[in-house]
Amino acid sequence: MPTTATAQTDGYPRRKGRPRVSETAAPSLVDILNLVRTEQATTRQEIERHSELGRAVVADRLGTLGELGLIDESELGTPTGGRAPRLVRFAADRGRILVATLDQTAIGVGVADLAGSLLMEHHEAAELAQPVSALAERLITLFRWILERQADPQLYGISISVPGAVPDGGEALFQRSTPGVLPGWESFPLVETLIAAFDAPVWLRSSVETMTMGELHAGAGGGRNTMLFVKVGKRIGAGLANDGALFRGAQGAVGLIGSVPVTVGDRTGTLEAMAGSDHIAQDGKVAAEHGASPILAEHMRRGSEITALEVAQAAQMGDAAAIDILAQSGRLIGQVVATLANMLNPALIVLSGSIAQTNDILLAAAREAIYGACHPLVSRDLQIIRSQMGSSSGLVGAAIVATEGLFAPAMLRDWIMAGRPQAHPLFQQVKDEIARRKTMEGNSLRPPDV
Amino acid sequence: MAITGLGPHGERASAPERVLLLPEDMARARASGFRVAIVLHTLASDWAKQQLSGIVGMLGNCGVAVIDVVDCAFTPEVQIEALERLIGEAPNAIISLPVANSKVAAAHARVAAAGIKLVLLDNVPTGLLPGKDYISLVSADNFGLGKIAAEGLSPHLPDGAEVGVLGYDADFFATNEREIAFVKWMQINRPDVTLRMRRFPALSEVAKTTRNLAEAHPGLAGLFVVWDTPAMTAAQVLETMGRRISMATVDLGQEAAIGLAASEPLVAIAAQQPFRQGETAASIVVTALLGRLAPAWVALPGLAVTARNVVECFQTVWRMPAPREVLRKLSLVGPEK
Repeated sequence: MPTTATAQTDGYPRRKGRPRVSETAAPSLVDILNLVRTEQATTRQEIERHSELGRAVVADRLGTLGELGLIDESELGTPTGGRAPRLVRFAADRGRILVATLDQTAIGVGVADLAGSLLMEHHEAAELAQPVSALAERLITLFRWILERQADPQLYGISISVPGAVPDGGEALFQRSTPGVLPGWESFPLVETLIAAFDAPVWLRSSVETMTMGELHAGAGGGRNTMLFVKVGKRIGAGLANDGALFRGAQGAVGLIGSVPVTVGDRTGTLEAMAGSDHIAQDGKVAAEHGASPILAEHMRRGSEITALEVAQAAQMGDAAAIDILAQSGRLIGQVVATLANMLNPALIVLSGSIAQTNDILLAAAREAIYGACHPLVSRDLQIIRSQMGSSSGLVGAAIVATEGLFAPAMLRDWIMAGRPQAHPLFQQVKDEIARRKTMEGNSLRPPDV
Repeated sequence: MAITGLGPHGERASAPERVLLLPEDMARARASGFRVAIVLHTLASDWAKQQLSGIVGMLGNCGVAVIDVVDCAFTPEVQIEALERLIGEAPNAIISLPVANSKVAAAHARVAAAGIKLVLLDNVPTGLLPGKDYISLVSADNFGLGKIAAEGLSPHLPDGAEVGVLGYDADFFATNEREIAFVKWMQINRPDVTLRMRRFPALSEVAKTTRNLAEAHPGLAGLFVVWDTPAMTAAQVLETMGRRISMATVDLGQEAAIGLAASEPLVAIAAQQPFRQGETAASIVVTALLGRLAPAWVALPGLAVTARNVVECFQTVWRMPAPREVLRKLSLVGPEK
């Protein structure tokens, strides 16, 4: 029998007997805050109408939210006959969310407000192959640099986009430990290190998932509810937004289309191996060596390395062999995506990744294959475009993941009375656990020196 | 020299050769009668003048008329007003250097929304996207500039030295990148060095910030300042305080070149190439107006300048002979009679 409420396995206070005032107020506070935050209601009258709460209760709850600094009622709206109504706005500036993208070749960091708007970002080259501890150290240095530049750094959360599926049964409010996203990650407690260094809850999502969310909220997805996002790089993955939210599947492993087998002539391999950037680079090298591509051969003579980007640039400049390589990649990707489109009937397909974004040929070939293989009803209003957000979509999407996590009713109800997510009992538990393990394991969990 | 940094949205840099204009491109542009307006942060600095002459010259070669050149005097309000007015004039393209971040973002977004091609110099307000809100960003490899400055300053630092970093307290892509790169290089290559960070909010605060930094850390052996104008102010302040500190900065201004020739207090400069940056911005405008896809970020490498190569670098950057005083300090001409 647990001796305290928080010692229960689900981490929530025991609800028994007469509820405390904080418990009765919390659900209505959650409802009202989310109505204001999502701009479904912007005046007291609208809040009363949507929440079906009485005027006195709404006034009381708004008072509480105002004291917590989560809403702002200083602005006046347009009068509709009579006095101008006081606008109720979400105080997105109350807190900050640190966001990062860990890519195969780059690390991106940024800071967003509580509405998920990116305020600042920075990207630099980094090798994912380096030890996770070194990556974490750089991440922490850059996070500290960004926090220093914020006037009032009230940190509410950290959200990171990682280059692999994040296993999740869908019930976790936030990350309680470091999942084995990539080989080697199990051995380094990235999540625990971040919690210890910054005292804020951490969310992890795959890069395709965050990019899908970013594109849906701040990029090409504007106003659409069903979007298929395809990232073409060394790996090829897809993300699905349905009804404005990310579809995560049973284990958070949606869209691993890179492992679908495809066939070209007598060769069969996975989509990643037959159309990804490694394949493009490899075919480019072969074309250069055999004299099929004068531009790439010239590159090689000058001692430059041929990557997929060089092949894409050569194709853009009219090099026939490079055009063929990219067109084939585009066709293969298009064939696989067409199957998905027929199944899911998206309003929009966005192709992302540096090759797709800088090259017309891959996009054109993919489009041709998709439109050609889709049912007329599916392709009638289907738009296929390239992403315009670059790596920013990962950062914006990571911020959206954190805001949705922070303000999800199941999470919010247990921190709203304190005004800070750090007060959530489950977060306290995670911190206690980290502290306990730290004592047990000596200094192995100490955040890296920066 | 390779580009070491990434673009404002993590883009890989494209070389200026990507937007090279062929004679037939120029002929097509000449036949089209395009009109372009230019909005700069200032017209007073050597850097801005050089960049402007690069832009105007290249546009002239392509028969493109420059209908206005606006000096925003580092003021967001002036820039917003100028952009509003220019949208009314409906030029085919606007080349702008955003003087702030979120404050001027909406005004720049309205340019593209009005169907006018926008090419940005040096800075992208957060939230603006290439291909949607603007065509391309042209800048120096600012991350590379910070690295060059660190590499140049390092040999002048004794073991275990304390080094000051004077950053710019504004959210500006170029200066942020220089600061991050300088600090990163030092942390990796000179772990013995202790960095002391200060940021100035405006040029008028540089003297005060420098004095605070120098007083708080009497053992300071080196100083990095994110561009040359504040660096020269800092140098004066340190001189009046009787402090001899080796300095590194970015941009080869006249005064900075003189200081570098004397190897005191400046020992290293990472120089941008404003004339080439200007020419590149103009080439991108023409590329976009001819309906071709332009890369999201075109970056030009920086030059590593020390007393040894200051004369030729000055000529490369400014397209004019180095100041007489530089030549005298290096004994390339006789003393003044």
